[in-house]
Amino acid sequence: MSLVQRQTSRQLDIDHEGFLRHRRFLWLKRAGALCLVAIVAYALADVQPRPSGGTWLGYALGTIGTGLIVWLALLGVRKRNMSRGGWSLKAWTSAHVYLGLALIVIATLHTGFQFGWNVHTLAYALMMLVIASGVFGIVVYATLPAAISTNREEMTQSQMIEAIAAVDRQLESAAQLLDRRWAEPVAAALHEDALAVGIWRRLSASQPGGATLDAITAINRASAEESGNPALVRLEALLQRRQAQLARMRRHMRMKALIEVWLYVHVPATFALLAALVAHIISVFYYW
Amino acid sequence: MTFRVRTVETSAQGREIVRNRDLAGKQVSVGRSADNALHLPDLALDPYHATITLSEDGQIAVEAVGSLGFGHDGRQRRHASIAPQTGGELRFGSYRVAVSQDGDGAVLLTVIKVADADEPIDEATGFALAGKLPGKRAMSWLLGLAVLLFFLGVPITSSLLRAPPNSVTGDAAWTPGPLSLAHHQLEAKCEACHIKPFEAVRDEACLSCHKSSHDHAVPARLAKARGFGSLGDRLQWRVAHQFGKPGPGACSDCHNEHEGAGRMPPPAQAFCTDCHGSLKAGLPDTRLGNAADFGRLHPQFRPGLPLAAGSGALTRVSLAKHPREASGLTFSHKLHLDPRGGAARMTQRLGQGSGLACASCHRPTADGVRFLPIDMERDCEGCHSLAYDKVGGTFRKLRHGDVDQMIADLSVARPASQPVINGRQRPGEFADSGGYFARFSRPAGSVGSAAQALSRGGICGECHTPAQAGGRFSVVPVTQVSRFMQHGWFTHAAHKQETCTSCHAADRSITSADVLLPDLNSCRSCHFGENAPRGKISSGCAMCHDYHGSAMAPQGLEPRRKQ
Repeated sequence: MSLVQRQTSRQLDIDHEGFLRHRRFLWLKRAGALCLVAIVAYALADVQPRPSGGTWLGYALGTIGTGLIVWLALLGVRKRNMSRGGWSLKAWTSAHVYLGLALIVIATLHTGFQFGWNVHTLAYALMMLVIASGVFGIVVYATLPAAISTNREEMTQSQMIEAIAAVDRQLESAAQLLDRRWAEPVAAALHEDALAVGIWRRLSASQPGGATLDAITAINRASAEESGNPALVRLEALLQRRQAQLARMRRHMRMKALIEVWLYVHVPATFALLAALVAHIISVFYYW
Repeated sequence: MTFRVRTVETSAQGREIVRNRDLAGKQVSVGRSADNALHLPDLALDPYHATITLSEDGQIAVEAVGSLGFGHDGRQRRHASIAPQTGGELRFGSYRVAVSQDGDGAVLLTVIKVADADEPIDEATGFALAGKLPGKRAMSWLLGLAVLLFFLGVPITSSLLRAPPNSVTGDAAWTPGPLSLAHHQLEAKCEACHIKPFEAVRDEACLSCHKSSHDHAVPARLAKARGFGSLGDRLQWRVAHQFGKPGPGACSDCHNEHEGAGRMPPPAQAFCTDCHGSLKAGLPDTRLGNAADFGRLHPQFRPGLPLAAGSGALTRVSLAKHPREASGLTFSHKLHLDPRGGAARMTQRLGQGSGLACASCHRPTADGVRFLPIDMERDCEGCHSLAYDKVGGTFRKLRHGDVDQMIADLSVARPASQPVINGRQRPGEFADSGGYFARFSRPAGSVGSAAQALSRGGICGECHTPAQAGGRFSVVPVTQVSRFMQHGWFTHAAHKQETCTSCHAADRSITSADVLLPDLNSCRSCHFGENAPRGKISSGCAMCHDYHGSAMAPQGLEPRRKQ
């Protein structure tokens, strides 16, 4: 293959293939083959007294599973060290995803479907938690970036904050002309910070009320003669702009939180899994 | 000039810009509205918030005008009085006003905008989750170390440091499953079996309780029978031995624990047939036939039979050789069971039913497994009376089991031509008068009559085989076998739904030499191998055989099947 061709193919590779489709699902095929071999072996092996982690097949599947888990965890090291080609980070990530999914089959067959309240099932449960959070991560990576882009309307994060600040400055000066009845809700609205919310509010899909919305509501309840006041009209327009900007920021934060939050499960659960795996293996041989 | 307002602002470069503005008049109004003398643009303030007045006595009076108060030296007030010499600090919303006296006697009001309470927004962290959740790295360390501590650190430390009577703490989470019923009391005493760390459970641990369990056969022959195994087996053992696993032939090879509460399931048939399926190959000198599955490959039964009358010895012979039994008795089952035979006629005439049944003579043992030996006095004498004389109302009868006494009794017996009494009873039942009927030949002379009694057709010889022992009359000792299958387990109790004759062809047997045991095919009409087809009974090796060889029911047999 000439240099030009290689460069072209690599170009195509980079342009059109994500880690899921990498090299026409090469790792999906390999992981599927691994699962198939494990399932066939499980079905055909005549192990006594019944399938479990303690039979020859159980030990074999356990060894494969342990190797996979350690290798999968090494993505955390690998991703800090980029390279190209067959062992590119993309190839590695592709293998990470599909081999991680194959682990469901390998580890479940390793258990022989024997579960209990013990360190062995703890390791299994943690592994499933890691895989489930990883699947969540794949789903949000596949779906959310487009939605985030749409929501932002080409604003950067700092522009969003600046937009709010600009509205706030105008609000502050506009409210100076009005008495306390109007100034108070506006002052409260100015203190409403979209970013100062906890994890649950961030992940929640519902748009919460807040001081800005309350201020709008208060102005909407003004009497007929009051609502003719041009200062009040301007105030409401500004508050509506603030509210719209807040809603955009909240949507942005929610999607950003979704795209980040799975790693807060995936990574700590991986380390808990590695510890439980060590405890599982050592305890099995300690009381052999 | 009464008041001087000094504003202090900080430039973009951090430099302080101080501006002074002198105010005439005795009063300064404070508020958000631009027409106040002291204009403080904060939405938290009223448009006209307060007044600061220099009174006649030189004190400064501060009065709230609107509904809100103000801060004075840290306290919330509506009125305050301040001596200019002493000074004080007022707080209006986000503004601090320090009250003091300037060098020229004017009241100095120093206005400083307090930095906004809100933190400046950092966009990089503001939108991100970092800070909203515990850090990934910290959580990883915490969870990982907690798991290692609780599930590894605690049990191993306890295991290494414990004083022997105490159990290891914290190892409950290590159990891969509950123990079987028999070992239930060992739950939470892992170290009872797992004695040394990183050493597979040894036979000695099992034998410390199971003291009476013995080997299946001589270990050397066991090893020979086991052979080298398949390539896979050899590979497995090679790996297993690398890890210090005992065996082959260790207790744990067949008996697996932690497989769930309840009875420990009997080892699968494969554990037996690995050797016995091709035993002849491993042990050419064995007398046992290959047995792979009861339904497909199993040698014909070899019951222990008395082949030589009188010796009492039982010899194991295959039923395929159609052996003849020499029990020392002459007996026809057909004659006694025939519904149109003499025995049946007798019971009918006496109103005792339609005939004799097996249970008339054969009584089960208390456990129902086997049958008691036939007892002549109970089972035969009801019909086959030994009475030979009647003196008044008393019958004289021969003593069963004592030939010399019989000879002595007969030698002094009165000649009798008539039956002593008429009327027979079923075995074991006696008439009100206690009547007997003896069907022996008429005594004629002491020795001669004994010889007649012992002759074929005589009162003794009818059932017994006469013999001469040391020149004296005798009969061949009778051998009654209570257990034919000496190495296999069979219980009649489990076969109650069958009739006797469905297995034992007693109703067609005219001689006691017939071996009335059912053969392999007879059993196979119901029992098939471990994986029996529908309609057959699954019958693995452990249903009849016990690896550790005891006279009792096999350990592996379910309790309900032992009965």
